[in-house]
Amino acid sequence: MSFPGVENLAQMAFWVTLGFTLTGAFIAVFPRNILYNVLGLSLCLAGIGGIYLCLGSFFIALMQWLIYIGAITIAIVFAIMLSRPLYTAVPERKVPKVALATAAGAVFLVAVLGVIFKTNWKPAVERGKDWSVAAIGHLLLTRYDLVFEVISLVLLVAIIGAIVTAGYSRRLS
Amino acid sequence: MNTLETYLVVAAVLFCLGLLGVLQRRNLIGILISIELMLNGANINFMAFNRFLAPEPAVGQIIALFVMGLAAAEAAIGLSIILALFRRLHSINIERAQRLRG
Amino acid sequence: MAWIFKDSVLLAAALATCLPFFSMAIILLFTRKNPRLSCTISISAVTVSLGCALYLLRTLWDARVPLEYRVSWLAADNLVVPYGYLLDPLSLLMLTIVAVISFLVQVYSVGYMAGDPGYSRYYAFQSLFAWAMMSMVVAPSMLQLFIFWELVGLASYFLIGFYYEKWSASQAGKKAFVMTRLGDVGFFLGLIILFLGYGNLGITDINEAARANAISPYLASIAAFLIFCGVVGKSAQFPLITWLPDAMEGPTPVSALLHSATMVAAGVYMFSRIFPFFAVSPDAMSVALAVGTVTMLLASTMAMATYDLKQVWAYSTVSQLGFMVMALGAGGYFAGVFHLTTHAGFKALLFLCSGIFIHEYHTNDMRIIGRRGGRKRGIPMVCMTVGALALSGVFPMAGFFSKEAILGVLAGHPNKIWLVAGLLGALMTAYYSFRLIFFLLFPKGGVEPPSHGPNSHGHEPHEEEHRGHIFWTMAWPVMILAGVTLVLGFCQSSLESFLMGAGTHGAVPAAHDAAGEHGAHGAGHYVLLAAAVGLALAGIAWAWVEFGRKKASREGFLARLPRTRELFGRRWYMDDFFRKFLDRVVYAGFTSLFTRNDRRVIDGAIDGICAGTVGGGRLFSFLQSGMLQYNLLLMITAVGIVVLLFLL
Repeated sequence: MSFPGVENLAQMAFWVTLGFTLTGAFIAVFPRNILYNVLGLSLCLAGIGGIYLCLGSFFIALMQWLIYIGAITIAIVFAIMLSRPLYTAVPERKVPKVALATAAGAVFLVAVLGVIFKTNWKPAVERGKDWSVAAIGHLLLTRYDLVFEVISLVLLVAIIGAIVTAGYSRRLS
Repeated sequence: MNTLETYLVVAAVLFCLGLLGVLQRRNLIGILISIELMLNGANINFMAFNRFLAPEPAVGQIIALFVMGLAAAEAAIGLSIILALFRRLHSINIERAQRLRG
Repeated sequence: MAWIFKDSVLLAAALATCLPFFSMAIILLFTRKNPRLSCTISISAVTVSLGCALYLLRTLWDARVPLEYRVSWLAADNLVVPYGYLLDPLSLLMLTIVAVISFLVQVYSVGYMAGDPGYSRYYAFQSLFAWAMMSMVVAPSMLQLFIFWELVGLASYFLIGFYYEKWSASQAGKKAFVMTRLGDVGFFLGLIILFLGYGNLGITDINEAARANAISPYLASIAAFLIFCGVVGKSAQFPLITWLPDAMEGPTPVSALLHSATMVAAGVYMFSRIFPFFAVSPDAMSVALAVGTVTMLLASTMAMATYDLKQVWAYSTVSQLGFMVMALGAGGYFAGVFHLTTHAGFKALLFLCSGIFIHEYHTNDMRIIGRRGGRKRGIPMVCMTVGALALSGVFPMAGFFSKEAILGVLAGHPNKIWLVAGLLGALMTAYYSFRLIFFLLFPKGGVEPPSHGPNSHGHEPHEEEHRGHIFWTMAWPVMILAGVTLVLGFCQSSLESFLMGAGTHGAVPAAHDAAGEHGAHGAGHYVLLAAAVGLALAGIAWAWVEFGRKKASREGFLARLPRTRELFGRRWYMDDFFRKFLDRVVYAGFTSLFTRNDRRVIDGAIDGICAGTVGGGRLFSFLQSGMLQYNLLLMITAVGIVVLLFLL
């Protein structure tokens, strides 16, 4: 598989994915219509899955698509459906707030970029080569079993909490 | 251009876009969406370090998995809070939720 | 034996200077309600001072070397400020003058101020003045001189504004203090420059260094010019003339003591004290000469246009002080000091005689006094005439000898214009003095009959009591001064040998001595003598023609020159100039600048801080408003900035 054009193709695929991601992110943040935002989010998440693919992990890319696009985005759409649309009574955009937010974001971005480019990233001396899913599974059940159990607990508590919160307010309204 | 810095920059940009959304949007659900973006940015960071720097490739993936799980849990709770707030205020404008009464 | 000698001298000096201080303190603290006791305390203090001064004069008459006592009062790194007494011929002479005239004036005041509600206060301030003046005279260091110089100014302020309920009096006191203070600013700057340049403010040190040419002429010129500003202020030279005529608002004995004989002479005294230092800088001497001349001529003209008894003598004082400054500026040390001495005598005499008239007739206007029969009071009239003759420089009064001395010094100066000015001044002096005398002697329209008007009825029963001891307490000092004036002139040579000393400790550089004093001996000397006496008699004759003859109009030549009379009467518009200067430059310019600075900058800054705080509070109040996004914004910004700071 060492065609001379394969490298270029891979590069182009990477840049296209990147493009999708960033476009999706912009659409998720800036337009005022919430449906546009959700769709942009899905696009962005899909692109991120592609990025995970570029980073070598098919499993995580699959999980990204499954969990985020398949579950979270749907949940958000449900929430949108259950609420009154905001555009029926949209107040004026406050310029100072936007300006301050942009400034804060810019400051933070510059800070993080500074950290990225100033740090001397050193790869570990010995690097493993096992990218299989079996390795992940093995680690989950041996070394990180506690974390595994805890996250299950977290998810359980989150679900119960969500139900209770939604339920209480139903009784009140 | 398949270097570590590229992925880190992408992650930073995503994070900051999400930050912008959180600070500036008035729609609660829009804020939630932006939070998701921030989480994803962090996740890309982890995956990038895993790919270029980590000794064991499986560990980074496990971290990414857990972050995704937590994001899911947080989205669920966030949505139920939004629902509850909506039932109270009849609006999903965050600027309506200013009364600090306990 | 020598130790006891020194000890008694020190004791005498200390008593002379410090007793009046204690008298003032006692009067102010304890005996204000008891006028007679206050007066007794004050007069006894000044009597002891007089005795000590005379004792010192007699004991140290033949002393070759100046005697100095010092105590270290303030000491810093290499600066020692002493307090003490410097007893050399000049200071002893001045001390005696001050003591004698203070004593006579205080005795005179017993009669003059009798019945005044502020009697104790008056004597307290007289003691204050005596203390300050005597301590100033014997000061060994310029700093002590300056301190007591200021105290003398303070006493003057109190005494001029003695009748403080009267608006014009309190204004006059303020004016005097402020104008002399203006001169003192220059004085102090000069002292600072002298100290910075030379390092020591002791008088003997300065004089010796000056004689040995150890002071650079540049430094000496600047310092001397600035110190001369103090003389300008205190001795009412041009342009700070106008406070002295206004100072006549004070009681007449005060005018006699302060504003004729002693306080205003302090400026001239200080000049002669550091005369060797001034002599190092020919520029300063020329400036002094010019200023003195201008003052003398201006003041003489002003005296010709006024009808107020005391104002004439006030202008005359200014003019004579200008004359003394001229003498010193031309290098005539002894002439200046001798004129100071004789002037103290006859000017005090003139003021005290005027005081008798004023006390009797309750008016300052010479025409009214003349018309009411002023000439009938024998003793004051005769003594006033004696004083006027002395002022005009007629033989055998003391004024003749001292004026001759000064004119001799001026003749020795290469530029003869000063001599001409001096002679012109002598002419005008004779004119205005005798104008006043003739107004009193030969009033227009004759003397009114005594029982005229409502005043005299009230006076009749009091007259006899008045005549008693009050009149004689006022008369005796006057007669003593008249006698002194007659005799003092003949002491010229002994005083000269006393002051100039012999050998290397003479007070004046030898070069100036020869050129200034004896330059006009010989035939020129007699011409000058004749000219001076001739001019004095001419002045008297002129006044006789205009005021004395039976057919005279008693208007004076000035009546025909109304604008000139206006000029002279309004003091050459100097007061108007000062008023305009104050209003336009000082008040409108500086004061408004400072007011604006105070209001806008200083107050504005503080108000701005308040407004900023309130505004800032309002700005940050949104953080507490429940808008979570703002809180988050602040957090993110803070984190970003911290990270950036760590990066950089």
